[in-house]
Amino acid sequence: MSAQMRDSSHRDRGGRLLTGEALYIYCVAIGDREEPLDLSGLDGAPIWALAHHGLLAIVQECEPKPFSSEDQTVLADSVLIHQNVIDLAWERYETVIPFSFDTIILHKDGKSSRQNLMEWLEKESADLMRKLNDLKNKAEYGIQVLWGPNVLLPSLMEQDAEIEPLEKEIRTKPPGTAYLLQKKLEELTRKRLETAADTYSKTFYNQIRNCVEKIRVEKVRKEPPPKQMILNVSCLQNRADLAALGEVLERIGQMPGFDVRFTGPWPPYSFV
Amino acid sequence: MEPTRHGRLALVDLLDRILDKGLILNADVLISLAGVPLVAVNLRAAIASVETMLEYGLMRDFIQLPSSRSQCNTVGCEGLRATMRGRWPDPTDT
Repeated sequence: MSAQMRDSSHRDRGGRLLTGEALYIYCVAIGDREEPLDLSGLDGAPIWALAHHGLLAIVQECEPKPFSSEDQTVLADSVLIHQNVIDLAWERYETVIPFSFDTIILHKDGKSSRQNLMEWLEKESADLMRKLNDLKNKAEYGIQVLWGPNVLLPSLMEQDAEIEPLEKEIRTKPPGTAYLLQKKLEELTRKRLETAADTYSKTFYNQIRNCVEKIRVEKVRKEPPPKQMILNVSCLQNRADLAALGEVLERIGQMPGFDVRFTGPWPPYSFV
Repeated sequence: MEPTRHGRLALVDLLDRILDKGLILNADVLISLAGVPLVAVNLRAAIASVETMLEYGLMRDFIQLPSSRSQCNTVGCEGLRATMRGRWPDPTDT
């Protein structure tokens, strides 16, 4: 192979020659036409839609190793590229089933990676078709509700049958006893907050659930104090039918001490 | 209230989905990804500490739905990476 030929072949950022031994798969869509997409993917590789029995696999060639990197800037870039490709496919083919980052198909036992991919598509085609048809016009949305307990504490404690008398006692008792009673008050307050958070969380969950087709509870994330996340959900909903959900979230956000985060539309990562 | 794809919070939401969810291809022709979850957690921690990135509006632009194909390229990512190199905080800094 001459130096000229080597230079014209596809290179990654590190200058290593890609052998195209493996296929990185971004998503699956419905379609018949095998075609290149007008877009570069990871390491600048061209993106292709490979066709098989009414399904398209959006792929690129890559080396048989993951793109995950300890270097967080590299990983952030890669994740954004991954989503860019899926976004374009989503726009072009209307409905997509997205793969997890770093889904790479190898050649193995004499079969090329393309062959392996096609075999997998064949095996799964009925299931994939059904899923893709179910997902038409729908998208995933992320919803998180946060609260600032300090804002809500006064109203919670006011006229609480146990807390008010306890506060009175603390004021009148000597320091030693007062300290112990203070600890008891803190514990009681903590319990009240926990119960309140739980009640609000369940109420909001039900209100949201009534406005969406599918809902999935996610783990709440740690937030910088004083705010706490009390609800984290993924929802699947028709993209044209968000008015009711928007209103519910608006109302929650307007309650003093509560914040709502509403992200999307995302491809249905949580519902495949 | 309208959903958004802009800003750091949306990026964290995206990362959660891309790195931890999506279709799993169960086949022995797949590369196993043992190291991914740990890297994902580290990345989220780093994202949480780069508020300054948002001042440049870079993050917002990248996860916007493309209105034209010309927006879908890696040139923007080159710019992001270049800026990050100068400003990405060392996770070991206090």
